Amino acid sequence: MSFGNWLNTQREHPKVWSGLFFAALVGLLAWNVFERPHEAEFVLDAYPGFWAIFGFFVCSGLVIFVKKILQTMIVGPEDSYDE
Amino acid sequence: MTSSVFLHPTAAFIGLALAMPFLRGDKWWKWLLLLPPIIALYSVFTVSMGDYGAVTYLGHKLLLGRVDRLSLVFANVFAVQALIGMIYALHVDDKAQHAAGAMYVAGSFGCVFAGDYLTLFIFWEMMSVASTFLIWLNRNPTSTAAGFRYFLFHILGGLFLLGGLLMRYKAIASFDFVYVPFEQMMYYDWLILIGFCVNAAVIPLHAWLPDAYPEATPTGAVFMCAFTTKTAVYVLARAFAGNEILAVAGVVMAVYGVIYASMENNARRILSYHIVSQVGYMVAGIGIGTVMTVNGAVAHAYAHILYKGLLFMGMGTVLYATGTAHLDKLGGLVKRMPWVMVLYMVGAVSISGLPFFNGFVSKTMTIAGAAESHHTWLAIGMEIAAVGTFLSVGIKLPYFAFWAKPTNEVMPLKPIPANMYVAMGISAALCLAQGLYPNMLYTLLPNPEEAFHYHPYSGWHLLQAWMLLGFTGLGFYVLKKTLTPHAGRNADFDKLYRLVGNGVLALVCRPLAWLDGIWTEVYRTIGLRSFLGLADGASWFDRKGIDTVVDGTAYTVGGVGRIAAKTQTGRIQDYLSWGVALVLVVFAAVWYLS
Repeated sequence: MSFGNWLNTQREHPKVWSGLFFAALVGLLAWNVFERPHEAEFVLDAYPGFWAIFGFFVCSGLVIFVKKILQTMIVGPEDSYDE
Repeated sequence: MTSSVFLHPTAAFIGLALAMPFLRGDKWWKWLLLLPPIIALYSVFTVSMGDYGAVTYLGHKLLLGRVDRLSLVFANVFAVQALIGMIYALHVDDKAQHAAGAMYVAGSFGCVFAGDYLTLFIFWEMMSVASTFLIWLNRNPTSTAAGFRYFLFHILGGLFLLGGLLMRYKAIASFDFVYVPFEQMMYYDWLILIGFCVNAAVIPLHAWLPDAYPEATPTGAVFMCAFTTKTAVYVLARAFAGNEILAVAGVVMAVYGVIYASMENNARRILSYHIVSQVGYMVAGIGIGTVMTVNGAVAHAYAHILYKGLLFMGMGTVLYATGTAHLDKLGGLVKRMPWVMVLYMVGAVSISGLPFFNGFVSKTMTIAGAAESHHTWLAIGMEIAAVGTFLSVGIKLPYFAFWAKPTNEVMPLKPIPANMYVAMGISAALCLAQGLYPNMLYTLLPNPEEAFHYHPYSGWHLLQAWMLLGFTGLGFYVLKKTLTPHAGRNADFDKLYRLVGNGVLALVCRPLAWLDGIWTEVYRTIGLRSFLGLADGASWFDRKGIDTVVDGTAYTVGGVGRIAAKTQTGRIQDYLSWGVALVLVVFAAVWYLS
């Protein structure tokens, strides 16, 4: 099977891949209980899970702000610059 | 091995550009494209530090080759990227594109090695003109319009630089291009800084970049993403390190770029907004100005040129094969372009700062430097931008280009030339190699001793990076429907420029039109009658005396007129080419005569 076909067939196993992904996230959180920064740069990052929460909420906040609020205000037709 | 002779890379690239029109024959000439980058590589790896090419021009001492650690690291990555870019463009038959690309690269080398502002300005403008052609040579109405806007903006930036350097000369009688401490900056230094900031795409002077880069030729964009902004980063690092305003402006760029990239539909425009964002890290590092952040900024410039080139090559390949870079029209292509996807992903994880790739080393160095120097808020801003970077370039773009939607079996794909894969492969290998062996990068930096103290591969750094990126992925997983791109153009600051421009135009035009109306009326009633009378007299004189004499002259004038008419194509592209040629001739004449 060619590489492209193999990649393509992986689309049929979304549960396997998402399962692996979630397991990795849980593993990172568990690791963070033991591994902490030598000195906290932003105070709160001394606590386990800080960067997980930061990543998730910044990402979600960005998506919602950008697609639900900002883009609705500034989007125009594709050719709106070619006047 | 070091050499006491300096082969200036600019000369090699200008030579290639000038030779281009005269090369005939069946494609053998394409191998010549690789010659100047190889000369440049040889030159940057063998030259010893010092000043080369001091010349006197119009009574001023110019320095064409200032070779020190700062200029050499930029020249090093420029040479590497020029080779990669030329390999990527090997299949292109259009000689004009190669000539424009070579002139453009020549300009960047000229800027990097320039020891004085006059030399810098000449090469700075050379870059502007040549890069404008890289946009126009995409040869469609959209790219023509975008090229005009791009050129106008760079003229403006160039004028700020010119105004600044002339006023500076008047004040201190020197063109020396040297460091200026923040406290000693005068008004002319600020003008020069604004000129630099236009090319560095500092908000709100950035809009030319995401407007024009997506319209350049697929191969031209690979050059453009590397040279203009990074030359600007170099000049900022040279003259204005430690300027706190730049520190804040850089973080604003970093965040602003990812906000626009997150909602954009055109893949090449997403990447363009990420140039704004990534250059933001560099500008911030330079602005903070500690040894570590300047090292970080330069390291990031080096890494960025490699991975951004790779990303533009990846999307350029998709554009070349499918004919579009709009995400809403792509999707489901992984089966048919698996290696393009893999190579693109190497660039994507590098820019996102995934451990073991070069972006991880340079980005964490800049952020850690900011945090260590107690610029906590700036460091947090850069972490926010890191999340947005992975979201838009690392996940959204490849997901909607290669995965989303069912397998696409119907879209006609042009076969992808092997040279494109070779170029992407080299870039990917370098991104990985520099990630695995950061010393490769460290030895080139302005302060290598300091850089060797920074160890990115501690347990905590790895964990922090993986958590940040992993949970960004979770955010995408939850909200991917919301993020689905749609066709449309998001207004940026340039809409504001146009609004202001149109306002000024209206303010000036209305009174002028009113005046013009009155004048027309006066002319019609008084002027026209007297002219008619005069004309009657003249025509009598003409019939009786002049006719026979004038005929000969008229034929001559007609002939000259026809030749002149041929050069008057009405296309500003042609005029610009003629203008540049004429300027070169004038320069040469002045050079010869003085």
